[in-house]
Amino acid sequence: MTVSNDLATSVAMPRNGNVPKIQRRNLARGFRQWWPYYLMMAPGLIFFVIFHYLPIWEAKIAFEQLRIIPPNIWVGIKHFQTLFSSPIFWQVLANTLILSTMKIVFFFPIPIIVALLLNEIRGGAFRKFIQSAIYLPHFLSWVVIAGVFIAVLSPSDGAVNDIIGFFGMQPVSFMTDTGSIRWVLVFSEIWRSAGWDSLLYLAAIIAIDPELYDAAEIDGANRWQKIRYVTIPGIVPTIATLFILNAGMFLNADLNQVINFSNDVVRSKIDIIDTYVYRIGLQTGEYSLATAAGLFKALLGMLMIVAAHLLSKRLTGKGVW
Amino acid sequence: MAAHNVRRTPLERLEYATIVSTLLFLVVLTVQPLLNLLAISFSDPGKVAGMSGLTVIPNGFSTEVWDLLINNSAVQRGLFNSIFITLVSTVLGVVLTALMAWALSRPGLPGRRVIFVFVLVTIVFEPGIIPDYFINKRLGLIDSYWSLILFKVVNAWYLIILVRFFEEVPKELIEASELDGANPFQIFWYVALPLAKSALATIALFYFVFHWNEFFRAMIYLNDQSKWPLQVVLRQFVVEGDKLAMVGVVDSNNYTGASQINIRALKAGMILLTIAPILAIYPLILKFFTKGTMSGALKG
Repeated sequence: MTVSNDLATSVAMPRNGNVPKIQRRNLARGFRQWWPYYLMMAPGLIFFVIFHYLPIWEAKIAFEQLRIIPPNIWVGIKHFQTLFSSPIFWQVLANTLILSTMKIVFFFPIPIIVALLLNEIRGGAFRKFIQSAIYLPHFLSWVVIAGVFIAVLSPSDGAVNDIIGFFGMQPVSFMTDTGSIRWVLVFSEIWRSAGWDSLLYLAAIIAIDPELYDAAEIDGANRWQKIRYVTIPGIVPTIATLFILNAGMFLNADLNQVINFSNDVVRSKIDIIDTYVYRIGLQTGEYSLATAAGLFKALLGMLMIVAAHLLSKRLTGKGVW
Repeated sequence: MAAHNVRRTPLERLEYATIVSTLLFLVVLTVQPLLNLLAISFSDPGKVAGMSGLTVIPNGFSTEVWDLLINNSAVQRGLFNSIFITLVSTVLGVVLTALMAWALSRPGLPGRRVIFVFVLVTIVFEPGIIPDYFINKRLGLIDSYWSLILFKVVNAWYLIILVRFFEEVPKELIEASELDGANPFQIFWYVALPLAKSALATIALFYFVFHWNEFFRAMIYLNDQSKWPLQVVLRQFVVEGDKLAMVGVVDSNNYTGASQINIRALKAGMILLTIAPILAIYPLILKFFTKGTMSGALKG
């Protein structure tokens, strides 16, 4: 799923630097020595303060009554109470959890299988060809992918309904069908990232000691036995890490995806926290309530990702960062 | 491994054939929808109606759809906006990220650990779109390209990747340059950057793909349609089904009614046009993204 390049490339994240304890009297000398480096960092640091830390401060409007003429009035947790007593909020929370669960169950195993299959391909050029093709959708925007799926699933001339029609069945309008829209999201996620995500497992497979395969061969192991007793045990740590990290991102059902597959007919089935925040905030103008919902998700999400990080560190030695 | 099993039993050959055909099936699933759109966009517009979603061969041949697209003012503006935003933010992103990463990778830099935590916090805690909107509004960035260019101009993940990379630069190289009297900026420019060429290329591609594909922020921050990047033009046309934004009120009569078919072909062409730059750099993406991800996973 969205364990994209971010998590992918970050599986090897920082070892914390050894910062020598600088004595107070050395600070001036330290600055004289280090100021060029602080200057190099300055634009980046200023960016982080303005675009990441000021918004955190700005989030205080979740606790305020906004007024046209400042100052705003502090109302404490009133907006959170409104939020938690709203049935729509519980519905979007449920949708978020349902979509994330579906993606974990039906998406997660596929890249592993693809990697196992790819590893069996003997010709280097042929393997490269397959990889080049199946990695491509990962680099397309969700707008493009939605456009492709609208075409493929079109009830009048889409590929899927052409096949359904061939078997003499009635066409289905998948994009506007409340029963199928969640599956459309799962499948579009698979189409987009199952190929690319297999790369992570392939990297783990390639790292397995070739002598293990030789030994298995001498013992007379066939293809499936080698996969079962050498390859899969070899990538279990990677599988565990990625599973935990995915679980940590549980509340991040993809906004960019949902917003492009949503329409009035199916909204109630796939409306997630993020689209809810966007709609009541920027479209209806209930800024405080929307920020409260956003903060709720941010706090819960932070707890989950930190828990996932710690768990993963403990079990597999690899964390999120 | 292949060298070992010279003689294969029929069962083994059947296994291999199954594996190959499964993967080829995945290739078809991935590529066929795009080839279908390509075929539709190059078909004779009069013959698009009734074309199956399964075909990959144009029905007749015509470049009319592409001529229409290239000459459409909304598309031209969108292309210009996308290219401008993507290039500026990629260059700015690479420069600022490299500078910050180099400084952060220096062992012994006082406050290094604090700054790391400061950056990591932004990854795990994101207060959401509304506070973000208010900050952009307060800075006067609504309806400005800068609301998009400055968004994640230093991406915390990419920063950490580069720091990892710079940490591997041999200490001896830097000490030697210091003895030669080079200042930190000269060392950055003449020692660090040349060593980091492939890492920088990877980061540049990350930024390029990220900004080219961004539509959500453009959607909420740019009310002025003339500033829309291609993704938003595409979204309005294909996802929202808004023909007017695309073909204009004056021309709309030419595309409706009997010639409704043109809209399907036009949409197909528009999707492909938006993908085109990604396809153009796809060989580079394969080379650098793949290597970056592989080494990242291995090193862990």
